[in-house]
Amino acid sequence: MIVKGRKLSFVLSVLCLVLVISACSGGSNDAKNTSSASNSPSGSSGSEQLPELTIDVLSMLTDYAGPQEGWFAKIVKDKFNIKLNLVNSTGEVVPSRMASGDLGDLVVFGNENRKEYSDSIQGGLLLDWTKDGLLDKYGTNIKKYASKGIEANMKMFGDGKHVYGIGESVGDGEGSSELNKLTMGPSIRWDLYQKLGSPKITKLEDYLPLLKKMQELEPKSDSGRKTYGFSLWSDWDGNFMNLARTIGSYYGYQGGDGFNPGDMLLVSATEPKYQGLLDENGYYIQGLQFYNKANQMGLLDPDSVTQKFGDVANKLKDGQVFFTPWTWLDDTYNTENHTSAGKGIMPVPFAEEKAITFGYTPYGGERKWAIGAKAKDPARVLMLIDWLYSPEGMMVLQNGPKGLTWDLKDGKPYVTEFGWKAYQNPDTEVPAEYGGNTYKNGSVKINNSTLNSNLINPETGEPYHHDMWSSTLDHQPNPVLSSWREAMGAKTMNEYYTKNNMIAVTKQTFTGEPPVQLTTDIQQKQNEVGKVIKEFSWKMVIAKNDADFNKLKQQMIEKAKGLGYDEVLAWEAEQTKKTAFAQNP
Amino acid sequence: MQADSATLHPTAAKSKRLRKPTKHGRYQLFFMASPFLILAFLFSYLPLYGWIYAFYDYRPALGIAHSPYVGFKWFTTMVSNEVQRAEVVRVLRNTFGMNLLGLMTSVVPVIFAIFLVEIKSTWYKKMVQILTTLPNFVSWVLVYSFVFMMFSTQTGFVNGVLMDLGWISEPINFLASDSHIWIKMTLLGLWKGLGWGAILYIAAIAGIDQELYEAARVDGAGRFRLMWHVTVPGLMPTYFVLLLLSIAGFISAGFEQFYVFQNAVNAHDIEVLDLYVYNIGIANSSFSYSTAVSILKSLVSVFLLFIANRLSKMVRGESII
Repeated sequence: MIVKGRKLSFVLSVLCLVLVISACSGGSNDAKNTSSASNSPSGSSGSEQLPELTIDVLSMLTDYAGPQEGWFAKIVKDKFNIKLNLVNSTGEVVPSRMASGDLGDLVVFGNENRKEYSDSIQGGLLLDWTKDGLLDKYGTNIKKYASKGIEANMKMFGDGKHVYGIGESVGDGEGSSELNKLTMGPSIRWDLYQKLGSPKITKLEDYLPLLKKMQELEPKSDSGRKTYGFSLWSDWDGNFMNLARTIGSYYGYQGGDGFNPGDMLLVSATEPKYQGLLDENGYYIQGLQFYNKANQMGLLDPDSVTQKFGDVANKLKDGQVFFTPWTWLDDTYNTENHTSAGKGIMPVPFAEEKAITFGYTPYGGERKWAIGAKAKDPARVLMLIDWLYSPEGMMVLQNGPKGLTWDLKDGKPYVTEFGWKAYQNPDTEVPAEYGGNTYKNGSVKINNSTLNSNLINPETGEPYHHDMWSSTLDHQPNPVLSSWREAMGAKTMNEYYTKNNMIAVTKQTFTGEPPVQLTTDIQQKQNEVGKVIKEFSWKMVIAKNDADFNKLKQQMIEKAKGLGYDEVLAWEAEQTKKTAFAQNP
Repeated sequence: MQADSATLHPTAAKSKRLRKPTKHGRYQLFFMASPFLILAFLFSYLPLYGWIYAFYDYRPALGIAHSPYVGFKWFTTMVSNEVQRAEVVRVLRNTFGMNLLGLMTSVVPVIFAIFLVEIKSTWYKKMVQILTTLPNFVSWVLVYSFVFMMFSTQTGFVNGVLMDLGWISEPINFLASDSHIWIKMTLLGLWKGLGWGAILYIAAIAGIDQELYEAARVDGAGRFRLMWHVTVPGLMPTYFVLLLLSIAGFISAGFEQFYVFQNAVNAHDIEVLDLYVYNIGIANSSFSYSTAVSILKSLVSVFLLFIANRLSKMVRGESII
């Protein structure tokens, strides 16, 4: 019996091993198949009879890795016979790829990757779009709709002759370039606010007693957990506590000037003024104080220091949190279940607020589209980018597949029934003829934009993004939105803030020169200082009383100064004065 | 021709025949060892070439050839001013402190192994061994999520139980606390490594001559006397070798555990050298600075190894290298 048992276990373990091995080799077979298929010509769907091509996309704007799936994959395959394969871009992958000299076919740089972008150009890792007249031949839409973006990149990074990439959100205009909902601005639970009689909120601090009353009014969430005013997370922090710095954006101060590196700066969008992060009366310290007061009042989720964003999103969804610092977070709670019951989180500004809103960037933003120097077929990669800069590509990028999520009626765009469902619940299944999978899984994983989504589409006479279509604004709002519209006397948050002069619009700095880069010396100091600021900021937020808070504040300032904070601040302020302030006095 | 030369020079042929096996043997041994020498060279010495990065301001896209040479700048940065020096001291204190605690608890697996072997019931013994060994195979990332789930203020069962019992009125975030953090971390490490660490000792106990036990029993030794006078001395050589090896390696121990458990509140006391290099260097792409710190780390490791060796000579009369 024992022998039999042993035999059996041996057989089982061998079986396990075989399964594991075959699973691995199965994967590699797939990879081989696609790569060999990519070289063989395909006659079926490719409109221009081009052979199938798989391009490696290195997008520093996404954590997603793997092939693009669903509806966007289908559109790109049908139109260009191209398959997109997103390669991992997390952690140390980007530097090691740079060191190896091959960045892939299509490369997308994020806001945080300015240094990588200019280093890559200097190191010859990016393709010059003017080589062999590629841009003239295949970049007609880019030249037509984003000529300033090309010009700027030529001046800043290509000695006025070469083009190595183009930024996102290209487009000229006045005022805010954002959609219906501005990004920056506090939101609270609208239904509870109404129940409490919509008291007037003048100062930022006025939210705290209000949130306390909300907590008393609704002590338990949907699933019976304790509710809090705030639930914070630390995994997005850089050289500071991100959620504290964002408080500055309610007063018209953004982190850095948007052009030069400036982690230690808060810069006004409307006048040539700046604050150091650690200024005693600065908005960063005020932000810390705000959260600390919340903590002292029992309004701060004690998990805040240890949890990650994903945990917070789940808590929001469950109704455990009443306040969100950025409006795009509201929709996490505003699911159909909640809104149909009249519950929702909506923007409620305080009277003194002047929210930072992003203005137009005629020269393109910091998120660059580029082509690797070793790209397999640069012309076709450029064709793809060019299409994304065309009205047709832009509509797909912003709104999904035509005929599925949106369509045209009398030349005007409108969102279809399916569209409303998919935008509301991205896990909606997409029909097989449009590529199958869910709407979310099929969305554009590259995660970069091209033109400004607020620009008017010349083919329809309406803005590109469905949020701004007149048909959308007239579409039946949910109970929460209609109650909000009635109380605020405006159709959208953008309209309300603009009407009441509560916005501070950022301006793009353009000097014709590339932004300076942190010297390694300054960078090194900033890393050390940043670590201290981050650590102490969180300690200050969860301090038991004001005395502890002030003691920690003094310790933070002392330690940061010892590590070279003043030097870093002076250097960064100098750059801002020389460029942003000189241009927009 | 060959035959001719052999007959012409009989002495030469003879000496050749004599020398041949030794020469042959020498080369044979060399060739047998050479793959390992090559491997050792490739993986242990060739990477030392990477030390060159510590003397440049390395930028990946430009390559070492086009990065500016900065000399000893990164080394001097580490000790450039008082606050900076205090940082390095703090990190070293954490490294040595927590590793010393680790060394002190390294007797626990020995004790565990000794008592485990004494258990009569085989199935119970097996079960205990399996249950204590399993955590070794759980990665730290999973350990953290497990601990987070246990201690979370909203959903954690520890807070739930304490609240239900009425012992606390507000949930406590145990993870966001730096009190006794070294001891907490050591206990976690012990929980994870206990069964695994005991395996070697259990094997060593099995290797102790049974006659020693019998002789001791004849002399009237009881169970605890057997353990104390036979098992413990029998385990000492194994224990010492492992202890000395861990001293030599201890400056680079524990990165993973501290990386997943660090947060703003405990970072001050939990940041060991490797984690510091990661937080300052790798996470911010300061590769050159990280290299400079690791060079110093290697030097300290070599230094520690010699100390350990000297200790071994003193205590046991034999050296390990």
